[in-house]
Order: sequence, then C-alpha cells, then structure tokens
Amino acid sequence: MIEDFGFEHPVLEVDGLTKHFGSVVACEEVDLALRAGEIHGILGENGAGKSTLMRMIFGLVDPDQGVIRIDGQATRIADPSDAVRLGIGMVHQHYSLVDALTVWENVALGEVGPLDPGRTRARVRRISWRYGLSVDPDATVRDLSAGIRQRVEIIKCLGRRPRTIILDEPTSALTPAESQYLFDVLLTGVRTQGWAVALVSHKLDEILRATDRITVMREGRVVDRLLTAEARVPSLARAMVGRPVPLRTVTAAFERDQVARDLLEADPMDGEGPDRAVETGARTVPVLQVERASVKGADGRVLLDGLSLTVGAGEIVGVAGVEGNGQTALADLLGGLLRLDDGTVHVNGRTVPTGVAGAMTRAGIAVVPADRHRAGCVLDMTVAENLMIPSMRRMRRWGLLRLDAIRRHALRLIDEYDIRTSGPDASLGDLSGGNQQRTVIARALSASPEVMVAHQPTRGLDVGAIEYVADRIRQAADRGIGVLLLSTDLREILSLADRLVVLHRGSIVGEMSRDEFDLSRLGLLMGGTDEEEKAS
Amino acid sequence: MSTDPGAPPTDDPGLGGQDGGLYMLLLYVVSVGFALVISAGLVAVSGNAWGSVAGALAEGAFLAPGRWGETLAVATPILLVSLGMVVGVRAGFFNIGQEGQLLMGALAMALIGTRVAGTGPLLLVGGLALGAVAGGLYAGVAALMRFRRGVPEVISTLLLVFVAFQIVGFAITTDWFLRDLDPNRPSQAVTSAALPGSVRLPVLTVWGNEVTIGFFLALLGAGLAAFVLTRTVFGFKLRMLGSNPRVAQQAGVSFGRAGATALFISGAAAGLAGALMLAAGASSARLTAGFSNEIGWQGLLVALLARNRPLLCIPVAILFAALRTGSGFLAATGVDRTVVDVVQALLVLALLVPPAVEFMRDRRRVSIAAQVTEPV
Repeated sequence: MIEDFGFEHPVLEVDGLTKHFGSVVACEEVDLALRAGEIHGILGENGAGKSTLMRMIFGLVDPDQGVIRIDGQATRIADPSDAVRLGIGMVHQHYSLVDALTVWENVALGEVGPLDPGRTRARVRRISWRYGLSVDPDATVRDLSAGIRQRVEIIKCLGRRPRTIILDEPTSALTPAESQYLFDVLLTGVRTQGWAVALVSHKLDEILRATDRITVMREGRVVDRLLTAEARVPSLARAMVGRPVPLRTVTAAFERDQVARDLLEADPMDGEGPDRAVETGARTVPVLQVERASVKGADGRVLLDGLSLTVGAGEIVGVAGVEGNGQTALADLLGGLLRLDDGTVHVNGRTVPTGVAGAMTRAGIAVVPADRHRAGCVLDMTVAENLMIPSMRRMRRWGLLRLDAIRRHALRLIDEYDIRTSGPDASLGDLSGGNQQRTVIARALSASPEVMVAHQPTRGLDVGAIEYVADRIRQAADRGIGVLLLSTDLREILSLADRLVVLHRGSIVGEMSRDEFDLSRLGLLMGGTDEEEKAS
Repeated sequence: MSTDPGAPPTDDPGLGGQDGGLYMLLLYVVSVGFALVISAGLVAVSGNAWGSVAGALAEGAFLAPGRWGETLAVATPILLVSLGMVVGVRAGFFNIGQEGQLLMGALAMALIGTRVAGTGPLLLVGGLALGAVAGGLYAGVAALMRFRRGVPEVISTLLLVFVAFQIVGFAITTDWFLRDLDPNRPSQAVTSAALPGSVRLPVLTVWGNEVTIGFFLALLGAGLAAFVLTRTVFGFKLRMLGSNPRVAQQAGVSFGRAGATALFISGAAAGLAGALMLAAGASSARLTAGFSNEIGWQGLLVALLARNRPLLCIPVAILFAALRTGSGFLAATGVDRTVVDVVQALLVLALLVPPAVEFMRDRRRVSIAAQVTEPV
C-alpha cells in the first residue's frame, strides 16, 4: 500500500469497498480518501470500476462490503437523497436534465418543499455569479449547448451546498476551451470553498492538468496512488492499462500542450510521432466529394447548410467540431439514411443518389457510426450475421443463406480483427463495447470500401482499443481508402488526420492541413463566434 | 455446427440457459398453476365442481368422438394467423388487424366459390390463392398509409377491422354481391350462399376424426416460416429490418419496400386462414356477419405467447383451439361458457408473466453491464 501523504483529515473516506455484479468484479477492496481543498483524479480505463465506485458513494449502488466514512464517521448511504443530505454532490456523465424545462425549473427539480420561481431564479443567478458559470435561468435546456448544459448540471449540484463533489467523465462532450473553463471553476471552488472534488476520467491529459492527487484503478482495484506533481505519463498509462502502451497514442494528445510536453520529456519514450506517407498539399485523387449539401430535419431545423468537402484516396480528413453541429447528419447522409434537399454526393466521380437504401454502400462508402447500437450493428443477431451484412451477395445461393460461407467469413474476420468472442454464433449483444466496435470496423473494412466514414470511432473505448482503432484507420488509409473521421475528440483528429476541416452549424467553416494545425484557431472556429468563447 | 447462426439468440427464452432454464420452467409452472387455481376458485364460487368443468373441457376438446379433429380444424386458421403475425413482428411491424384481413380472405373465397363458374378443385385453389391476396392487399392499405403518410400500422390495421365488418355486411346483404338468393335456404339469417361441395377442402378421416388438409397446410406454413426466417436471405433482411432498421437501410434493405412486403405476408396469412375456414365448412360454409368469430384476435395472442417463434405457434394454437372446442361441452355441466373466456384470459396472462420477468431481468442485466462498462 502506498503511504498516506498526511494532509488534513479526509472529508470522505472509503474503506475496502467491494461490489460484484454476478461474476463481474466492479470494485474490489477499494480505498480512497477525498480531502477538503483538493481535486482528486480517479483515472482508469472503461470498466475499471470508477463509475461504480462513485455510484456507491452517491448511494446509487449498494456496496457488497466496505465502509464509507464521512468526517471519520461510518455512514450508510442508501440512496442519492442520503448522499445529498450528507453533503455529497454528483455531476453525472450523462446529463440528467429535462430538455423541455427551463434552467431554473431543472434546478428546482428534485427539491423538497413548495416551488418558488423567484427564489430559485435568484439562487441560480447567485451561484452563476459566484463561480462565473454564466447561464440564463430562463433559457430552455433544449436550446443550450453541451457546455452550458453542464454548467446547469453543476449549478444544480452546487445549489445543494455539497462539500464533496463527484464529477463523472465531465468533459466527454466539451470543447477544449469548455473543459479548461470547467477546471478553472473547480479550482476556484476547491481553493476558496474548501470543496473536496473527485474527478473521474479516462483521459490522462486532463487528470494531469486538473488534479492534485491521482488514484489509478484497473479491473476494479486501486493499482496506484500518487501526487500529480510526481506523475509521469508513461508510468501512468502503464498503470492504467496494465502493460506498456506504445506511446504514439498517448503522445498525440500532448503534442500541443506545454505542460504535458514537459512531463513527457522528463521520461524516456519511443518518440514515434504520427507521420504518415500521404503528403498534404499534394492532394491525391478525390474519392469522395460532397457538394453544397443542405438538408432540414423533420422539425425544420437545419441539419446541413451548404456543406462541401472532399476526401482523397488514402487521405484521412478529420472533421472537427462541437457535437450537434451536423456530424450525425453527415454520417447519416453517407450511410444512405438521409435524403438531401439540395446538393450532391460523388464517389469516384459518380453521383450517388441520397437517401436510397444501400446506394451509398454499393457506391463504396462504409460507415462506422457514432452510436453503434442505433446505427452500427444488430445486437439481437450473432457476430457472424453482423459480419456478413455488407457481403450478403456472396453469402447466398438460390436465395438461401450459405451458412458455411457465413461461418468461414466470420472466423476469418474474427481472427483478422482480433474480435474477442466465444465464436461466430455468439450474440453481438454479449460482446464488450470494444469488441462490438471491432466487429463494426471489421464489417466496414471487409466490404473493401473506397471511402470509410468513421464517426466517433473510439468513443467509450479504453486506451488499448483506441490504439487498435487508430491503427486500423491508418492501415485503411495506407491501402488507399479515403477516410473521413468525424470526431469531437480533438486528440483523435490531431493524431490521425492529414487534413482537418471544422464543422459548425452544418457547414464547413475552416480547413487546416497537417502542418498548419493550430489549436487556438481551431477552438475559435469550433465555437463559431458565440458567447461561449467570449465567456471563457 | 453447434447452434444455428440463423436463429437470433435473443429468441431463446432462457430455457436453454445455464441457470435460467430451470428458473424459467419453474416460473411457467407456478404462474400457470396460479391461473388454474384462480379459475377453479371462480368455478367454485359459481357453485360448480371444478373437476366436472375440467372433464367437460377435455371431453369437448379431445376425448369425445370426432372432437380432436374439430380442435385441429379450429387450430388451423389460428395457427396461420399467428404465423403472419410472427413474420410481421420479426420485421418490426405490428399488424393487429388479422380479424379484418381474415374476413377479406373469406370474402374472396366466397366470391370465387359461389359466383364463378368452373371446376371445383380449380375454384378451390383459386379461391384460396385469391383469399391470401385479398388479406395481403387489405394489410397493404395499412402499409400504404404507413410508408406514404407515416400512419402507424398498429392503429390503421386495427381500425381497418371495423371497415372489414362493414364490407362483409354490405356483401352479404347485397343481391348482386354475395347474398344468398335461394328461397329454400335453411335459415332466414342473411348470409352468402353456401360454398358448393365441390369447392370444399378434402377431408381425411383418421380414427374416426375428420381432419381437413388445411391443418397440414398450416403445419407446412409453420415450417416454411421458420425456414424462411432463419435460412434465407429474404428472412435475414426482414429480421435485420426488425432489429435495426438503420443498419438494414445502409445495407440496402428499403424500409418501405421490405416493410410493405412483410405486412403483405402478414395479411396474406390471415386472408388464407379466412379462405380455408370457409372452404373447410365453418359456419356451414357461408360467409356471415360474424364469420371471423375472433379467430384473428386469438391468432395474435398465439404469436404473442409463442414469442414469435413459428414452430412454437403450433402447440399454442392447438391449446387455444382446444379451449374453444372444449367450451362447447360446458353447457352440460351448467357452467356458463363465458368461464372459458376467463380461463383463457387468465392463461394468457399467466403465460406472459415469465417472459415479462425475464425481460425485466435482462433490463437489469443490461443496466448493470452499462454501469460496469462506463459508457462515455
């Protein structure tokens, strides 16, 4: 066990907390101490047990064993209302706001006693003023961006005067500027109000940037505890993943970050940068051309607004942008799910009809969608069935499925793409998220596409799987496939793309080649010119 | 090959599962037992002996001479309707208007059989085929509304049932259409003319029971539905559409066209059921106002209870048919035959409890998995 650093007495202490879900070990003998005036980073891959631990502290999950102490007093937290009463606040990974209600109404939700609009509004204003969380109490949540919604969530949490604040993956939908802003707010609260903050994340860089102390979890156990000031990237990554990580994946995240660069330089590393054969400027033959694509949603909202972009053979084009600026519409368009009101799509110079079932697939576009459950795979079907979907033509004889061919095809792809499953007949729903994504990618690439559209291909995956996906995307481009990478994760785009375009409100507002990448300009483009940028 | 890759694994009710199997079986036994106890209680309250009621039901359904043939005859259309339902649901469409589609099928059969001149077997085959087409097209109306105007098929198919009743009412009261104009007809009720004997289904006599070949057709249909759904590209496309329409559309399965096909098949099965009923001599081989006699609704329940597996529809359809034919013998015991409706309803509820429990268990498992894997 690692020594205690002997700060002041912990506000909240967790001792030997254990939780099993059936045979799955979510948390095993976890100890943790949250101290006042400190941001405590909890780092770990997906499935490391971070969220379960936090949910136990907040009373959402009942621990099998172990004690939670508040001010040294063993306490049972049966449900979130207990937690709130004991001064614990939680900002959830998925916002728990009601879209149709206003900000103050959302803040008032879940409170006891008569509704007092005036006082609630005043409270919202007071909290926003004190912590610089500018929000209009009368705005409707539906109209707010992800960053502002999170502010509402935080205001809601702060309104209950917590001493301990838990943030579960708070930056997953935020721009870099918004993330930094959030960390500034936290720091203010911690230093002036003496909050004890637990920041749960799987992102190394933000844990390093924003915390005072780090606990690393893996497979439900605490594997390392250290002061952030003493942390080094390679050893942290190793502790988190459980094996040395080729640093290319990790380093990409830090290329433009001075703090992180210093950290990196302190440790020896393999120094392999993201360089690829394709040279920008010397643009290759265009395989995908989208021209002046415009479309409105069923509710009249503009989804795409004259969007034009080109992807060359063997080129990786990153589409950066804040979520909700047309990424889904673009991916749907290229998946044949969306009919354009205006504009055209060409693949290899041939016009492809939009919104026609299978037309984009036949033209050679393969899509790896952001939400694989919604658009990427069929959970009720087997791995083999999922893998055969684009190859149906080759898997039939007289209208019958060729079961042997389907099985062989599946076995080959399972092997080639290292899909971990009990076999081709396993239900896809039983695979882990990472392996479902491998299946989706295997399926996309097995159809020998001309163009691959990858929308948030690494969302929700752990470092090992991210590395895998990144490698596959690079390999696809090396084989001459044009790759369109839509991502709100800038690290991903910066580490993979040869060229990037910025998507804002359904159109492309800027473009940079690999050697022109400029984070601050990128941030401005992504934010458009709205008040959010000015506020930060 | 250990398991059939064509069979969606979620369809396994858990009976094959490691720990789930025994648990589910127990659940079924307990809930059905509970339903039977309540039924017995109801009978007792109405002042009768449960034993004699059960005896009468068994007599009526199977034991008395000729009764199991009758039961199979009733099971035939129920099974066909349920198969259509299964195909629709697997493709993601809930056609619940079988009662109406069945009527349209019977109407087509009556039209061919009583108004068209020709040799018997030809008329029979033609009538059955046209009955299926009529049922399919009637469901096609709902499909058209669904894919052109976005009207949910659950609502349109249901409402079309009431339109079908009106159409049949019009047909049998209209001289030039189907009304029986024979002054010597046995009953004064307004009906169509009876189907001539030459246009009836051949009947096999087995151990003193008359079994129409319709039942074997329905059995064949169940096998065919199972085969098409699991082994053919067409079935694969339908299942893909039912499980994830977006993936299906990307892969080239058109929501409109494939969906309309599924609805058509679903209606055609009900139409065929109606045509077969008439050709097998139901209600004296005459189309009447109440001809469908709730067979459509029962087929729907059968599909529900069989959890959309075609082969499982066979025993469930026979069970439902047995309750119907068995209730015919209840009068002798002095028990109101509506008690059978209550028993049937209780059984349906009882048989729905285990899947519901399993569903909730699954949901819990999924939400636990979601907690463990921490989606971002």
